[in-house]
Amino acid sequence: MTFNKYIYRFCFLFALLSVVIFTQSCEKDLPRFVAFEPYTYAGLDDDGGTWKQVHMSSVEQIKIDAPTDPFSDAYKNEIAAAKAAIASMTSDEEDAVKYWGNNPIIRWNEIARELAAKYNLIPPPNADGTYTLPDPANPSKFPYFPFAHPPYSSRAYAYMSVAQFDALIATWHYKYKFGRPALHKIDGTIKQLLPSSDLPSYPSDGAVVTAVSREILSALFPLEKEYLKSKSDEAKEALILSGLHVQSDVTAGDSLGRGVAKVLLQRAAGDGMKFAQTPKPISDSIKNAAFVRFGWQWTNQESPVRPVGLTPLFGKVKTWSVTDLVAVRPPVPPTIGSADFNKAADELKNIADNITAEQRKVANWWSDGFNTTTPPGHWNKLASDYLVKYKLNPLRSARTLAYMNMAVQDAGISCWDAKYYYHYPRPIEAIPGFKGILGTPNFPSYTSGHSTFSAAAAAVLAYIFPAEKSFVDAWALEAAESRIYGGIHYRFDSEAGLVQGTQVAEYTINKAKVDGAK
Amino acid sequence: MRFKIYYFLFLVFLIGTANLLKAQTPSDALMMEKNELCIAMIYQQDTWDEYWEGSLLRENKNIGVLTRNTILPMVAYGITSKFNIIAALPYVKTEASGGQMVGASGLQDFGIFAKYAPYEIKKESGSLSTFVTGGFSLPVSSYLSDYMPFSLGLGTQEFSLRGIAKYEHKSGIYLRGSYAYLHRTTTEAERDYYYADGSYYTTTMDVPSASNAELALGGWLFNRALQLEAGYVTQTSFSGDDIRIQNAGQPTNKMDMATINGRLRYFPSVLKGISIMVGYTDVVSGRNVGKSTILSGGLTYQFMLKKPQSQP
Repeated sequence: MTFNKYIYRFCFLFALLSVVIFTQSCEKDLPRFVAFEPYTYAGLDDDGGTWKQVHMSSVEQIKIDAPTDPFSDAYKNEIAAAKAAIASMTSDEEDAVKYWGNNPIIRWNEIARELAAKYNLIPPPNADGTYTLPDPANPSKFPYFPFAHPPYSSRAYAYMSVAQFDALIATWHYKYKFGRPALHKIDGTIKQLLPSSDLPSYPSDGAVVTAVSREILSALFPLEKEYLKSKSDEAKEALILSGLHVQSDVTAGDSLGRGVAKVLLQRAAGDGMKFAQTPKPISDSIKNAAFVRFGWQWTNQESPVRPVGLTPLFGKVKTWSVTDLVAVRPPVPPTIGSADFNKAADELKNIADNITAEQRKVANWWSDGFNTTTPPGHWNKLASDYLVKYKLNPLRSARTLAYMNMAVQDAGISCWDAKYYYHYPRPIEAIPGFKGILGTPNFPSYTSGHSTFSAAAAAVLAYIFPAEKSFVDAWALEAAESRIYGGIHYRFDSEAGLVQGTQVAEYTINKAKVDGAK
Repeated sequence: MRFKIYYFLFLVFLIGTANLLKAQTPSDALMMEKNELCIAMIYQQDTWDEYWEGSLLRENKNIGVLTRNTILPMVAYGITSKFNIIAALPYVKTEASGGQMVGASGLQDFGIFAKYAPYEIKKESGSLSTFVTGGFSLPVSSYLSDYMPFSLGLGTQEFSLRGIAKYEHKSGIYLRGSYAYLHRTTTEAERDYYYADGSYYTTTMDVPSASNAELALGGWLFNRALQLEAGYVTQTSFSGDDIRIQNAGQPTNKMDMATINGRLRYFPSVLKGISIMVGYTDVVSGRNVGKSTILSGGLTYQFMLKKPQSQP
């Protein structure tokens, strides 16, 4: 039958089509890091060494040796060694140079975000229904340390960014103090893979950023020391292979970066974070105090019940800029069962019953839950994109992220202060039978962490990039709304959080205004 | 917390339950006559109270029992006795007995399959027949695949190619084996960063492709009024990450499983063209999937669209 021939042809074509589709879509090349082209800095900030540091006492608190003379044999030998390494560069090494680019702040921020995501897993219940918490003294014992929840991650981003910023101010100071010219000015024949600038080359800012970031992250993510070492080795090698630096630039930068990181880690050791996750008796007393004060209390709704909320004393952790947490604590939320409460509850029920595709998308877009970089990480990604867009040099980049992340951690501290002061129950607890599309976190409702973090981040970004104000404000508002759509916050949680975050950020912005940067 | 049960269900349906249809499925060894149409309506209830988080079998009281109900209308049509077309469109509803996360419901993926029977060797002692099925399915609603374990489906296009061989003894006892390659494309999440053994800066998630292999032993009783069958099916993803500790699953996960199933199909002599079927499936081992028990039941009705032409 001729029809059979058609069938044969159909089958053949189908098989062929399958093979074609298969081979094509096998190459599902999905981006594993943020792609950006190395760029020429918009400015060099020659006076950067005079800017005010956040935590270091002076730009020479960490000392480095003066470089060798640019016309010395020692330096010429270093250049020759760099040229030899460049001449024998493999294609993998060339990829590494392009990956790191000439602003390693962007990559180290990305690495920090990835570690936050990797460690942002809540401990599971044990077989007997109890929970074991990570032990900083024994990080490799399950559950692994740290649990990089939003407060922990906000702190990690802040320490890394502040350390980068303080170290780079010192770097700029030494660069202009010692005045070793940019490498291409001394030897015009060196092959440079990245856009060069006239920034003095000693010490290497890339090496400073690499050392400081590696040290801070190794302390905060101790199980990643090996990984961070490998990234650091690759970054330092790329600095030489880029044709922008010689070994002594890198060695001096490494030493400076390590020194600054050490000072910041001393601050971290005494900032109160180690007491944030309280034992149950303290947690219970905090809870009882709220009940006595307001007549309500939040209780975890998971099964088995988590006996202690997340970091009840994160609100006591040392702030970067805020001097008075009570001054930025929002007013008392509506009494449960009051008209204002019922209005907020009805809104949540209405959304849960009629959620639109757009609301669902917003809730998921800003979800930033377990296994993600957290809301502070989400803002770091947005800020990082601006560093590229505005072609900021490493110092300006560090400044942007330092102020944003200081404000974001302060927002978290202030938010947690309110959360455990008011100890307000979540919608799933206070509204009978209520369910939503997001998992409810293990801490009280009022105020919304997302809203507070986001408003603070947006305020700093709007200060630094005034042209972006309308965008960042819209994002913060959207992040705040997202928690209502997800069914895990009342509107008053989000609204109070936005106000709180904006107020908190003012303290940091006021510091930025007088730090000497123009 | 998320599993590929929908997909599994669909498969079970195609491989198992529906394969009771004399009217056939993409994976069975049956063909419709020319111009014969079969309409089927199947209901399935899939429940689990344990799942594999990676290779760890665990419970999660914040899910309790996850129930996935599927209503699956399907049609099969014989263009010729050697070339059939099959189409299916499941409606899925999910819910958990524990926790405070809301379930999902809606139309899942529309699937269309072409089945061809190239060779058949008939001898007195029995017959050996072979089949090839090619299929394509794609989501027909805007369900979110990145909402495990409640999501309706994987949210991906799937191209499948299956080879089937069956030997049937003259007594009515048969043995059937099949192997399929299931090529999945990608799915879209509603977030632009996710972690799957490292960072991904995209809303696009790679859904691992998989193989599916089946071995079934069955037989016809009471003058072919009753069909009984037992089968073993394995499904293995070619790539993918594990569900992370105490975290929800995601469409990038490597979802593997082995299942055993049993089914029965009855053709009442008083109802011409009608069959009744019931099935039972149990997931016996797995990775990143629920340890499901699946009950299914359905009715099929088959009839000639056109009267067979008289022989010249």
